[in-house]
Amino acid sequence: MKRLTLALTLLALAATAQAKETVPFIENDYATALSRARAKNLPIFVEAWAPW
Amino acid sequence: MRAFVFTDKALERYAGRFVWLAVDTENAKNAAFLTKYPIPALPTLLVLDPRKESVALRYVGGATVPQLSKILDDGERSFRGRTSSSADTLLASADKLAGEGKSDEAIALYAQALARAPKNWKLFNRAAESYAVALSLAGKSPQCADVARDLYPRLKGTASGANVAATGLDCALGLDEKDPKRPALVSLLEKAARESFDDPKVAAAMSGDDRSGLYMTLIGARADAKDEAAAQRLTQEWSSFLDAEAARAKTPEQRSVYDPHRLSAYLELKTPEKAIPMLEQTERDFPDDYNPPARLALAYKAMKQYDQALAASDRALQHVYGPRKITVLRARADIYAEKGDKESAKKTIAEAVAYAKSLPTGQRNERTIASLEKKLAGM
Repeated sequence: MKRLTLALTLLALAATAQAKETVPFIENDYATALSRARAKNLPIFVEAWAPW
Repeated sequence: MRAFVFTDKALERYAGRFVWLAVDTENAKNAAFLTKYPIPALPTLLVLDPRKESVALRYVGGATVPQLSKILDDGERSFRGRTSSSADTLLASADKLAGEGKSDEAIALYAQALARAPKNWKLFNRAAESYAVALSLAGKSPQCADVARDLYPRLKGTASGANVAATGLDCALGLDEKDPKRPALVSLLEKAARESFDDPKVAAAMSGDDRSGLYMTLIGARADAKDEAAAQRLTQEWSSFLDAEAARAKTPEQRSVYDPHRLSAYLELKTPEKAIPMLEQTERDFPDDYNPPARLALAYKAMKQYDQALAASDRALQHVYGPRKITVLRARADIYAEKGDKESAKKTIAEAVAYAKSLPTGQRNERTIASLEKKLAGM
């Protein structure tokens, strides 16, 4: 099963980025998210992902 | 989650209650974020408190819409300081420490939170999952397997139970073959994982890709038991399940979610040629995505069609960025090596070393560099 594990390490899952989202994501800009959240006193939801 | 979850209208009610940030861990722009909030696996979901720049909730793994709704409700409550028991506070502290990369301290607090859990504690399932996953990620396999065995009976019949059983089973399979506790732990946790797998209620609560992960763990357990016939049967079943899920997809994004799983299954079944039309379709649908050609390179390599594999690898290299480029270069070196072109294989690994060293803090990984240098020295 070593081979399967290796293949899966190489191929681990993620989706492609083109879907239309219901919630308004800020892409790759923590500083903007932080200042907006502070101004509105809101928590920040983060999805850490990668296109692979 | 982008293909199936964040497109769901049920999340609209949360839109104005959070600031939403997507962090592509391959993007160099996020290096400082990744130094501040280490991400151990993908996806990882965080709720951050912007006042203190600290983690209010952390969940490693993907979520369905109902699971995400609960995470958002819990995260908001933690951010607003509306915790109602000492176990709630301990879990929030554990998540905060885990979010800072302090895994040993976090593990100790997850254990304390569970020990103080009130009866019918609403956060029990998430705390149990986070505890088992934290132990697994920290490489504490013996403790991870023990904890999964002890927690599973209270989680039975839920998606969290399936996750804890599978995490624990992976840990048990990772134990030293000579460990006298190994056979009993593997057997018990395989039964638990299989029970979750066969439960239609659990199946309905899991995403297709999580169910695929459960298949992989169960196949691994049968292979470990040297039960090749059952492993083969299950791999066939896994492949058919993935093909059916992909056929049900409503968008190209949803269909492509299953590409890496389907390729793994086809490689395992020694039918890599079945991956070619699927990956060619995805490459047409997403011409800027490096994944389809990177996967085509692996499929062609398995078919021993090395020139096709290198052509696909060329296309992947045109689009790939971040630490993932190292994986693509490693795969390319393997293609050269199998083709018998040792010189090009060596040159490609040297290129991977130089690239790995050029990555910024937060993306640079010393273990990766050491492993590449070791490989290069042996070439």
